[in-house]
Amino acid sequence: MSQGQASIPAQPRAKQLRACLLCSIIQTPADFRKHGCPNCEEIMGMKGYADRIQSCTTTHFEGTIAVINPEDSWVARWQRTSKYVRGMYAVRVKGRIPEDVEAELESRNIRYRPRDGTDQD
Amino acid sequence: MSDVEDETVLNSGDPAEDHEEEQEKQPSKSRRRDYDEDEEEEEEEDDEEDDDEEDEEDEDEGTKRGQKRAKHRHKKPAVNRFLDVEAEVDEDEDEEEEEDEYARDEFIADAGVEGEEDFDTVRRAADHARYDRRVREMDDRELEQVAEDISQRYRRTAVRYTGEMSDVPQRLLMPSVHDANLWQVRVRPGKERDIVFSLMRKAIDLEYGARPLQILSAFQRDSLPGMIYVEARSAKQVSEAINGLVGVFPSRGINLVPIEEMASLLQIKQQELTVTPGSWVRIKRGKYQGDLAQVMDVTENGEEVGLKFIPRIDLNPKDEASLDGRKRKKAGTGLSSFSMRPPQRFFNYEEVVKVYGRKSVSKRNQVFVFQNDTYKDGFIEKDFRLTALQLDDVNPTLDEITRFTRGQDGNENESNVDLSIIAEASRKAAISVLQPGDHVEVFEGEQSGVHGTVHSIEQDVVTIEPEGVDFDGQRVQIPARSVRKRFKPGDHVKVMTGKNSDETGLVVSVLDNVVTFLSDMSMQEVSVFSKDLREAAEVGTGTNIVGNYELHDLVQLDQQTVGVIFKTERDSFRVLDQNGQVRLVQPHQITMRRDSNRAIAVDSEGHELRRGDNVKEVDGEGRKGRVLHTHQSFFAFLHNRDYNENGGVFVTRARSLASLAPKGNAMKLGATDLSKMNPALSGGAGGMVGSGMMGRGPRDRLIGVSVMVIKGPSKGYVGTIKDTNGPHARVELLTGNKVITIDKEKLRRRNPDGSLDVLEKPMGGMGPPRPGGGQTPNPYNQGGERTPAWGANNTGRTPNPYNDSRTPAWSANSRTPNPYADHGKTPAWDATARTPNPYAQAGGKTPAWNSSSRTPNPYAGANSSSAPTWGGATPGRPSGSGWDTWDTRSAPTPFSAFTPGAPTPAPYVSLQTPAIYEYQTPAQSSAYPHTPGFLSGGIWGNIENTFELSPKWLLDPNLADKVAGIMVEVRGSYASAGQPGWHNADYEGKQGVVLSVFNTDNDTFQSTARVRFFQPVDPLQPIVPVPVTYLWPVHPEKKGEDVIILSGAQGMGQEARVEAVESRNTMVLTTKATFLVIDSHPERLVRTRQVDEVGNFVR
Repeated sequence: MSQGQASIPAQPRAKQLRACLLCSIIQTPADFRKHGCPNCEEIMGMKGYADRIQSCTTTHFEGTIAVINPEDSWVARWQRTSKYVRGMYAVRVKGRIPEDVEAELESRNIRYRPRDGTDQD
Repeated sequence: MSDVEDETVLNSGDPAEDHEEEQEKQPSKSRRRDYDEDEEEEEEEDDEEDDDEEDEEDEDEGTKRGQKRAKHRHKKPAVNRFLDVEAEVDEDEDEEEEEDEYARDEFIADAGVEGEEDFDTVRRAADHARYDRRVREMDDRELEQVAEDISQRYRRTAVRYTGEMSDVPQRLLMPSVHDANLWQVRVRPGKERDIVFSLMRKAIDLEYGARPLQILSAFQRDSLPGMIYVEARSAKQVSEAINGLVGVFPSRGINLVPIEEMASLLQIKQQELTVTPGSWVRIKRGKYQGDLAQVMDVTENGEEVGLKFIPRIDLNPKDEASLDGRKRKKAGTGLSSFSMRPPQRFFNYEEVVKVYGRKSVSKRNQVFVFQNDTYKDGFIEKDFRLTALQLDDVNPTLDEITRFTRGQDGNENESNVDLSIIAEASRKAAISVLQPGDHVEVFEGEQSGVHGTVHSIEQDVVTIEPEGVDFDGQRVQIPARSVRKRFKPGDHVKVMTGKNSDETGLVVSVLDNVVTFLSDMSMQEVSVFSKDLREAAEVGTGTNIVGNYELHDLVQLDQQTVGVIFKTERDSFRVLDQNGQVRLVQPHQITMRRDSNRAIAVDSEGHELRRGDNVKEVDGEGRKGRVLHTHQSFFAFLHNRDYNENGGVFVTRARSLASLAPKGNAMKLGATDLSKMNPALSGGAGGMVGSGMMGRGPRDRLIGVSVMVIKGPSKGYVGTIKDTNGPHARVELLTGNKVITIDKEKLRRRNPDGSLDVLEKPMGGMGPPRPGGGQTPNPYNQGGERTPAWGANNTGRTPNPYNDSRTPAWSANSRTPNPYADHGKTPAWDATARTPNPYAQAGGKTPAWNSSSRTPNPYAGANSSSAPTWGGATPGRPSGSGWDTWDTRSAPTPFSAFTPGAPTPAPYVSLQTPAIYEYQTPAQSSAYPHTPGFLSGGIWGNIENTFELSPKWLLDPNLADKVAGIMVEVRGSYASAGQPGWHNADYEGKQGVVLSVFNTDNDTFQSTARVRFFQPVDPLQPIVPVPVTYLWPVHPEKKGEDVIILSGAQGMGQEARVEAVESRNTMVLTTKATFLVIDSHPERLVRTRQVDEVGNFVR
């Protein structure tokens, strides 16, 4: 799936760019609405739901990473995005995923690692 | 997955209902399948339903089931039907799941039940309402199973989120040597994100090109401005990638990031700023910029916070229209400038209603709504985005907190915030300000109450050495947050941070963590948190420099306003402007600093007023002070530490000031030295009087001469004469780059070899001619005539070699008519018309003087008239307008006739004369005190009358080195009441010459002078010590006698020679040092003789 590619926002400075709380990909709200999150749409289910986008993504992110070759990039691995699509990712994203998603992850025995830098280990 | 939930719920819940719904939903489901073409599990039922759907959509009533349904639908209102369809789409998906996974047969079996369809609308509405709840309930299901199903169905479209990487600990992800490197690239600050995006797009664009980018990633951090990091195997790949991008500076190097630093680049955290309800923030922008606010709540995603703060409602809205027009009001508030913002004030229903009208405010429960904002308890409650708030360095001040606490009605609101909240907020900071040696106390926890000194600090743990009996030598470890600095009344403290930073003072009270101290500077009580204090011995002066400006600088505020900084605050000044108003200005509001170093103003006595002078107001409050600055020669800014107001700085008019320290005598008005005004005399760079013949006069040759000061406080200093002015010279000292004004007498010419010489050699071409001096070539006494021009002894019949006319002009005897005193009479100058003309030796031919009838006067067409030639002097007079009045008074004088010639005629004479012969000069003769150009001569008389010699005149320091040779007379040696007398008055009346003076400097022991008497009582003992109090000066009587001036314009102690005896009360002198010609009363003079050490006359 690394062949996949997220849509790259045309306006880097646009204020309304949003980062996914789970995978930290950066997209415009329009892209999130149209295509959902390219990495975690399955669990976040944002496609088409504006309010869902509101709760699963945030404008509070810092640092942008252009992940060009996720498979080989150490940066992507460090950020745990190496299995994700190419695209723009945030270094840090403030906030936590909604509780239901968190619970879902838990139920799948997936450890949730917040991307706000609070994660320790 | 919502589909799943729905489905499952439906199934497990109410089969009948499900069934019913199924029927309805079938059609839309299949529609959806149209694009889910790969659906493998389509079954016959679906096909059937497809048909149904088609029927439904096409409104085709030809199919068997469709008929019924169509009929059913027709019953429904159009709107409802629309709603149903909407709903069906949603639930349709659920259904699909159901079909796929669960008991599809059941549905089919139940499909026949159609009787309940009538209730569909109601039920579906309920279903919709339950939708969200079902989403939550979904968790109850076996997620894995559900998810698996989904993956089967959606595996092409949605990838199952596995999070496979999340289990690896971060440390195992640390970069290794096998990983690509990070390269730091400099970019234009602010462009980092754009460039990272550009790299991404470029990589995509070139992906299938001939030379795809080799870089693996690129990133940027907000905390690292001006650089991006590119992950690549080599620097070459990086430079290829960034080649052509705007805003990248490859020339500044592509630097390899060491492996061990790679991870930190991505780990950098901004200061974690968390807001919790109750904490304090500041608003960054808008009307409430800088205002303190308290967090009430925080939205779930942390993007917005609800704040409570003191509103700023404009109770004086500018345009009346805004009162009722909300829209306009909005626009207005948006535009209103920040400086005009209304003050903080608690919301008051009555006030607002009064201004904006009752309609504008609505009340819901306890909350007012006004202009879309809600107000509660006087506070405004408003949501703000986190980005619009300042979360760190909030530092709420006590004032602000108190306002909050006090609340609307001014009462202490016990339920409200207490200081512990801010204390809590600032606790983090408090830890960092602790230092070993600080005196602290523990205020919470088990050790509460213990106090001691900080021994060491390790992160959050403070080791303190408690004081007290129980602990000796023990050390206690306490969390840093539980201790606070401890102060007690009487401590001298200094504020380290905050608004009052650098203030120092004496602690007067301590209440928990609030310390009140009395500031050393402002003498006011200041309350600060103890964390901001340190014990300090020094007395703070505060910082006196902010930006480029310093305390007591004269600064230009705007075109019309200047002011003096009298107080510097943290980042602003208090300035006292020329109008006496105090302004608070920021450095950027200051246009420039003014330099008044060279500015000169004139004080009430006409003296120069320079910066640094100590002066006093002559009117008003009589304040004293030191001149800080003068402005436009009118305003003077003074400073006196004794005044508390405005830091001791005050402004006043220069004209109302008088110097406190007496200036040099010569500067005094009464002693105005007219020679100073006479360019011919002063010989200086004068020319002010504008004399034609003299031109501007030669440059004083003394200017530029290297001199050494031999007397006075500057004694020994070497300098250069910059300017001369009469007897004074302005000398620029080599030391200190200072220019001093000093008597020429105190100067000696300094030759290049270092030897000293008299400043002015007694003649030669040096300097301008000095008429009147005995040694000076005097135009009036040329020809060896002993009796000088003024010589008119008392006879007034001075023999004049040139003509035998008397020269009443200078004789100054009473016969000289004053042209001004009684107009029409012959003025002083022309006298008899036979006035000697020093220039025209042929007498009478001099045009300038003359005015005699015999003299052809080129200017005075009116011969035969006894009119004066004052016209000649005209140009020398400074004031033309004043002159006119003269003109009218001396009516007979054919003045007008001269006027045309006025600019040119013999100015030499006319200029000199009035100055030199001050007494005789009509201007000086005090008939007209307002003589233009000369200050009142009347003062002379006063001074003369009041002159009285001190009994100890001989001890005067000015005479100290000149006493030898002074002729004295013994007087007052008779015994009288209380006075024992001296030598039985044997020596009374006897004259002698002083050889030396023994000055005891006190009254107990008499100071004595050794006097050699001319006719001693005891011929064997001609030299007798005499108490100085019995010695009185012998006054000169004849021309040619050497004298010392005891009092006068030139100061005491000047040596001079009597050049002429004008009358009993006037003598003309020439000073020996400066060759000035002055007048003096004989009583102000004492004769001297040159004597050897035993008193024999040398000459």
